[in-house]
Amino acid sequence: MTAYVVRRLWQMIPTLAGVILLIFFLFNWVGGDPAQVLAGKISNPEQIANIRKQLGVDQPYWYQLLVFVKQVFTFDFGRSWSTNEEVSRILMTRVGPTLTIMVPVMLIETSLSVLFAIMVAYVRGSLTDRAIMVICTTAMSISFLVYIIFGQWLFGFILGWFPVQGWSESYWKNLLTYAPLPILLAVAVGVAPQLRLYRSFFLEEINQDYVRTARAKGLPEKKVMLKHVLRNALIPILTNVGIYLPGLFVGSFLLEVFFSVPGLGREIVTAVNRSDFPVIKAVTVYLAVLTMVVNLLVDVMYKFVDPRVSFK
Amino acid sequence: MPRGGRAGRGCYDPPIFRSPGDPLKRLPTLLCCALVAAAGFAPGPVAAQAPKKVVRMAFRTAETGFDPQRIFDRYSVGVCENLFEPLLTYDYLARPVRLVPLVVEAIPPAEEGGTRYTFRIRPGIYFADDPVFRGKRRELVAADVAYAVKRFRDPKYASPYEWLFENKILGLDEVAKEARRTGRFDYDAKVAGLEVRDRYTISFKLTEPDFNFLYILAMPNVVPVAREVIEAYGDDTMAHPVGTGPFVLKEWVRRAKIVLERNPLHRGYELDARWADPADEWDRRAVDALAGKRLPLVDRVEIYPIEEEQPRFLAFINHEHDLLDETPAEFIDQVLPNGHLAPNLARQGVHVFREEQPEVTYDVFNMEDPLVGGYSPERVALRRAMVLAHDRDQEIAIVRKGQAIPAQSPVPPGVVGYDPSFRSTQQDHDPARAKALLDMFGYVDRDGDGWRDRPDGRPLTVVYKYNAGSQSNRQLAELWAKSMAAVGIRLEAEAVQFADLLNDKRVGKFQMAGSAWIADYPDAQNFLQLLYGPNTGQSNEARFRLPEYDLLYRRSLAVPDGPERNALYREMNRLILAYAPWRLGVHRIFNHLQYPWVKGYKKHPILYTNFKYLDIDVAARRAATR
Repeated sequence: MTAYVVRRLWQMIPTLAGVILLIFFLFNWVGGDPAQVLAGKISNPEQIANIRKQLGVDQPYWYQLLVFVKQVFTFDFGRSWSTNEEVSRILMTRVGPTLTIMVPVMLIETSLSVLFAIMVAYVRGSLTDRAIMVICTTAMSISFLVYIIFGQWLFGFILGWFPVQGWSESYWKNLLTYAPLPILLAVAVGVAPQLRLYRSFFLEEINQDYVRTARAKGLPEKKVMLKHVLRNALIPILTNVGIYLPGLFVGSFLLEVFFSVPGLGREIVTAVNRSDFPVIKAVTVYLAVLTMVVNLLVDVMYKFVDPRVSFK
Repeated sequence: MPRGGRAGRGCYDPPIFRSPGDPLKRLPTLLCCALVAAAGFAPGPVAAQAPKKVVRMAFRTAETGFDPQRIFDRYSVGVCENLFEPLLTYDYLARPVRLVPLVVEAIPPAEEGGTRYTFRIRPGIYFADDPVFRGKRRELVAADVAYAVKRFRDPKYASPYEWLFENKILGLDEVAKEARRTGRFDYDAKVAGLEVRDRYTISFKLTEPDFNFLYILAMPNVVPVAREVIEAYGDDTMAHPVGTGPFVLKEWVRRAKIVLERNPLHRGYELDARWADPADEWDRRAVDALAGKRLPLVDRVEIYPIEEEQPRFLAFINHEHDLLDETPAEFIDQVLPNGHLAPNLARQGVHVFREEQPEVTYDVFNMEDPLVGGYSPERVALRRAMVLAHDRDQEIAIVRKGQAIPAQSPVPPGVVGYDPSFRSTQQDHDPARAKALLDMFGYVDRDGDGWRDRPDGRPLTVVYKYNAGSQSNRQLAELWAKSMAAVGIRLEAEAVQFADLLNDKRVGKFQMAGSAWIADYPDAQNFLQLLYGPNTGQSNEARFRLPEYDLLYRRSLAVPDGPERNALYREMNRLILAYAPWRLGVHRIFNHLQYPWVKGYKKHPILYTNFKYLDIDVAARRAATR
């Protein structure tokens, strides 16, 4: 297993190099000149040149790329061009609010999806199954933005169950006061597609020979479903959850903007709008590394979920 | 009372649920509690006791920071208004606006033909407490003013307002030039135009007469700062504002929450009611609420940057906020149906302040462009025809939702030099005149494709660039294309990134583009400089170079406010209409809402926040939200 992990880690280097090159060229070709935005209402070419010099974007491309690579390996991306805040501090302070929303979303969403999926798979073809599938398809057809606008209006304003928006310094106040509504809406949106997907995983397993054998042996249906079907369906579910894991750290831009959550998603969009390259660089690289690491961890976990899996 | 109204748990902290007895309504909390308990988190700190009087409101755009010499967005500057104090400021109630001394003893007269201004700072004004001062009270002195002005020219800070002091203060350009060469600004270098005569006296010597210089010294970011604070915080000055203002920055969750608290060291203000208009209900209410009291009255201000319009609006309607600045256009029909306050808001006693912004929107023709630019009769005719063909009424009705008035000149109402009697038909929507003008100068369809061609037979296609990130800009561009199509002119709307659009306008790589200008200071000169020839490549996006106009502009600089200067401004306006380097747009109207427990409110055309003049009736708020 160690050799496998080392090999996978080694393979990350060219991937990371590709990410660095892609971000660098995308920013320089289509990103716009940040000095134009930072120069204010009235500026002359000399002042713009001064800003470009301070930002380092007047340097040759090869030098800027070298600085970027150095930043990746020293984890020091400098300061935000628009607010002058340290990029490392931006990441540290924004990831907390994002996780406060996204971790409960993932836990609740996955639990509910797996639970409902195994239930509807068990009653496949029934009216309940069909009704739930119709509801899921309808729910999936509606934009996330509609959920947010409607949910905020209904639960925040009409029913008054939650504040319309807000965030505080207190973790508990955030979790208990400000996070529930965005969590509720994100779960409402996320459950439908996952439920459909997981149902198909369960149905595939239910039709396997070993399930028929287990039933023929007289195992109770509960045991067949929870011990055999669930365990075997867990591998594709794990893969699916693994795909979403890096997204936890980036959050949902829409949720964060509509509910005034000072998270990373909102920060990224603001950075793009302001051509704030240090923030864009840091977040993209960090997300790429995170995706690769999470993929590796998921692959390693297969071994524990399914003993038939071996590392080659 | 709206359906979303909720009982107050404290005087400003909104509760989560209306009915603690309803288990269904407690479900989300119970779920979260269970989740947290399962995760094994430790309990957080207990919230501190809430102060008594708190103002809560939203900004529609996130702030960037609070180093006054490094910022330019109005929201960051709006916060700085409360943390720092310029030498001069504006009277709260006087309209048209009126300069008054703030930290100086008096408004100085212009000396030496408008090239020298000497200020004496009032002794006994102190900066807010900060660890940098090591427990000692730090008094404001003249050297702090000189230091702040120099910071605008320090290349290290790349100040967006550097232009304010460019070619302005005698000897400062040379020091700035040397700093650019060496990479280090010498703050100890002697600048002839920044003469610190004694501990409290500073004299500015200008390179040329400027009768608007006092306005510059009333800008909320042209404020003295303590050199030791700036040097101590180095690159973190955006997060450590230390001024002499009535509030201090207590808490800052960037882009999420800004909390100001009353500065305990502040000397306090009193409302000057001399300039109040007894016929104005806002003035009367402000005088009733504030006269004779030591200001500021509020203990705490909470500001929440909320970029999306719905949560910003709902937060106000839900009583989570006390003020709603700039009611979103999407909700204007709910707030002001048929121009009157909605009954549900009127029942709650909500006040609406209708503000004509001291700003102008306009569409720029590139005067150097071979198609639409130039000063020959046929080019002027083309631009004037396009102006006449553009349906500005639709812009106001649809894009602006009726919340704008058509601009008659670049100078908006409320600005010194604004002439309410100045009217012209040259910017009216008149397609028939537009067509006649185009026909007269040979812009006709020569190849039968349905579109007009140039007089020499080549195709006529105008490209209009707009900011791809703005929905309203896209609508405006579409309106232009539709209006031009109605008179047979082919106009292509091209979406470009904001940064690229700024650059294209600065270097003249465009034919037409939209723009807007909001007053830095309330004088027509701040708007008319937008077409001054030497400002080409900077604020003169049209690249308009008309010797007659430039001559009038230079003459206006040397004349103080009065009939003579107004006559010059009027003549400049005539030239703008005649040569049509712009399609004049609108002056937007913003509707600001307040609940009746907010006392003393009156929107100022230049200053953005004015928290020091607000009061909160806590009991009234509690009663209304119960």
